[in-house]
Amino acid sequence: MVGKEKNKITLPEALQAVAKSGLETLCPKDKIRIAVGYATCGIAAGADVVYAELEKQIFDNTLEDRIILTKTGCFGFCKMEPFVNVYFPGKPLVIYYNVNSNDIEKIISAALHGKVFTEKALCKIEHWNHITSETDYGKGFDDIPLWNELPYYSKQVKVVMRNAGITNPNSIEEYIAVGGYQSLFKVLKQMSPNDVIEEISDAGLRGRGGAGFPTGIKWRNTQKEKSKTKYLVCNADEGDPGAYMNRNEMESDPHMIIEGMIAGAYAIDAKTGFIYIRAEYPLAIERLQRAINQAHEYGLLGENILDSGFSFDIFITRGAGAFVCGEETALIASLEGEAGRPRPRPPYPSVHGLWGMPTNINNVETWCNIPVIIEKGADWFKALGSPNNAGTKVFSLVGNINKVGLAEVELGTPLETIVCDVGACGIDKKRIKAVQTGGPSGGCIPANLFDTPVDYDNMKKVGSIMGSGGIVVLDEDSCMVDTAKYFLNFSVDESCGKCVPCREGLKHMHEILEQISDGKGKPEDIDLLKQMSETIKKTSLCGLGQTAPNPVITTLQYFENEYREHIEEKVCEAKVCRELTSFYIVADKCTGCTLCAKHCPVNAIDGQAKYVHIIDQETCISCSSCFNVCPFDAIVKLSGESMETPEKPIPVKK
Amino acid sequence: MKRKVKIKINETEYLVNEGENILTFCKSIGVDIPALCYSEALKPYGACRLCIVDVKGGNVRPGITTSCTLTASEGLEIVTETEEINNHRKILFQFYLAQAPESETIQKLAAKYEVTDTPFTKKVREKDNLGNQCVLCGLCVRVCNDIIEKGVINYTGRGYYVKINTAYALPDDNCLGCKACAEVCPTGAINFEDLTDTRWGHSWSETKISLKQCSVCGEYYSPQPFDEKTLGNMNPEIEKGLKDMCPSCRRKTMSKKQVAIKENRFSILNLK
Repeated sequence: MVGKEKNKITLPEALQAVAKSGLETLCPKDKIRIAVGYATCGIAAGADVVYAELEKQIFDNTLEDRIILTKTGCFGFCKMEPFVNVYFPGKPLVIYYNVNSNDIEKIISAALHGKVFTEKALCKIEHWNHITSETDYGKGFDDIPLWNELPYYSKQVKVVMRNAGITNPNSIEEYIAVGGYQSLFKVLKQMSPNDVIEEISDAGLRGRGGAGFPTGIKWRNTQKEKSKTKYLVCNADEGDPGAYMNRNEMESDPHMIIEGMIAGAYAIDAKTGFIYIRAEYPLAIERLQRAINQAHEYGLLGENILDSGFSFDIFITRGAGAFVCGEETALIASLEGEAGRPRPRPPYPSVHGLWGMPTNINNVETWCNIPVIIEKGADWFKALGSPNNAGTKVFSLVGNINKVGLAEVELGTPLETIVCDVGACGIDKKRIKAVQTGGPSGGCIPANLFDTPVDYDNMKKVGSIMGSGGIVVLDEDSCMVDTAKYFLNFSVDESCGKCVPCREGLKHMHEILEQISDGKGKPEDIDLLKQMSETIKKTSLCGLGQTAPNPVITTLQYFENEYREHIEEKVCEAKVCRELTSFYIVADKCTGCTLCAKHCPVNAIDGQAKYVHIIDQETCISCSSCFNVCPFDAIVKLSGESMETPEKPIPVKK
Repeated sequence: MKRKVKIKINETEYLVNEGENILTFCKSIGVDIPALCYSEALKPYGACRLCIVDVKGGNVRPGITTSCTLTASEGLEIVTETEEINNHRKILFQFYLAQAPESETIQKLAAKYEVTDTPFTKKVREKDNLGNQCVLCGLCVRVCNDIIEKGVINYTGRGYYVKINTAYALPDDNCLGCKACAEVCPTGAINFEDLTDTRWGHSWSETKISLKQCSVCGEYYSPQPFDEKTLGNMNPEIEKGLKDMCPSCRRKTMSKKQVAIKENRFSILNLK
């Protein structure tokens, strides 16, 4: 659906006029602005309920003239969602956390008086750097901390997430108000395609999809092909388990992707662009489509953009759920309507891509960086990050960690800073054992290597990959064999089945890992796993197979002792592997409450009220149900040892 | 004319056409590289991974890659067997032995590379339409799709559970019965059987194709739809009567005619 061109922008002055109207809603002069963090993550945490309640109370109290209610993207601190931010003219922007409908009345009444409901206030923003512009909100509210005084944010540098959680993703005017689409005047009117590529190359931007291929070189390869038709693709088929950076980027600030793509299209001379996005991201699709339509209305997409003679359009294609379609040749096959199966490279997509035409594919986050590089210049960008690894990267920090969320840090930031300073270490003070970066294609990095700077080169050195930015934190309760098995199982499920090492090999590796975790492993399995990993890595057709053994390789490299314990001593130290774990009831602690027996799915627990319960080891399937429900910590998990228990239920002492 | 480029294969220099397929060229000069999914008639597919070689120089990324997807460029250097390649191939053959446990072709090919057994669980399916001999090289699918342009068979399922069959595992009346799929199958896994007037595609969900009967001798000789397609490609001037004859009767009829013509001329000469 293409919107009509109502107010085609051709001059910088026209853009400024739109910016002005955007500012009226972003920082209204005589109204209060209340915005709910309304990305998928926020909605899951209850943002829709909060929004509805706000709407109701504003309506009930006829406050529509005084309050603008709106939506923003996600401010990145998942644990604290839903977020509500409140702007009272001249005062700092206040961010409320874990808001529920009971808080709404207090938030509104505080807002009406230009005050803060301190109990739920997370932080305030006095000054915000949108990179493409800056906003001064005002000073005050001394009893709440500044946003970047919070440990979670203090080490973060928001470049990609420059507008996330601040601006309304549904409003092109607000995006323009913070300097959006400004770079297009520079690109289309002052720079040649070569200049654009030079700038990106000079900035040292590397592909944010995971492999880290220099973006400038990729663009150059497509640009130098002599073809009338060329295509541009934004790869938004984010699929790593636990990774959701791209979703947030698209939901929170869709226009930056479009702006980046226009610049890229101009550089390589493409007339048509596609955003290949997984269908599981309906909100992102909706917002991107709206953003595309809005860009059309202002003539920022379509024919003769900014009256420069350059034309470009973007279409959204939805993926049908295959992980492998994130691999560029499989993505192309899928775009063409074929089954998502990778094709041999060479020929590379830059030469022979979509429908045989030169095609340039970049990840969502790569496109997000383009507008700021153009706007601020390569030198500004290079100053961020570490040598050869310029810029920032958004990581999704998940797993057994205190502060779950999206963390954007400079490349080269030590893993420890991300896990301990931003993420505030393990839950319940548990020892963190390792992190898995890069999803099923990445590797496990043990805690003793947490001083490793997180960038493309150093991650590779320790056997993992940067990947698209998922960081799964594993604590002492995680078994590394089980972890490897989990990620391998994912790859087995997602293998397309075209080439033999990935299709057959991964399945066999998974079988061997299952044997090991079931206590049936053989000592020679370790060498066999290593050999298979090497062959699958070296001989698979596409990136999926070539990286799928990484979790096994790295866990073997850093935690071979755990494998050996499983194989030789039949012990799973973390007590995760069911076949190697037994459950016992400690007679002194059992109060005979019968809860465990009630929850046991296989009736393995004998006992009655006020009697010490006993688990029949033969029947028990180690499902942990009893362990999870016992209110008295009377149930213990053991691996490699057993415990004396009474033969029959006996009355509890006292 | 194509530009000639210098390449090296196992230390020997060759002058070849730029862009020439390396696997084809290697075969032509007697350098043996195992391959299951390659056919010169089809686009390179890169699925079987057996034709791996070590490569440097030229315009490709150095390292191990499949020779079926490599094309000749100036300065390309290829080594077809190294210890590493042999190790990888060994494991690949072990995968194949587990995947197609009943394929003699695979057993023989693996034995040539000194692999006679596999440590992996064998994939034995009861009532497998391809007799547990399929290695999923995809040649049959590609021939049916790209050359015959019928697309009767394709992959079903994903990953380890991929199989090749007709859609929904139902008989497909688009099948010409041409048996091109069986012809290209490297392991002979595809099973057709002609029973009097019908060709049965046992491997393809018992797809039935009726056979054409010879108007002269009454033999059933060719699948009806295939015959129609091929005759449709031929010169329409061709004598109608010949179209309904089996090859043998056609030959006989043709030669009789030739003889008759010659005899005719001879008699004319005699008369003079």
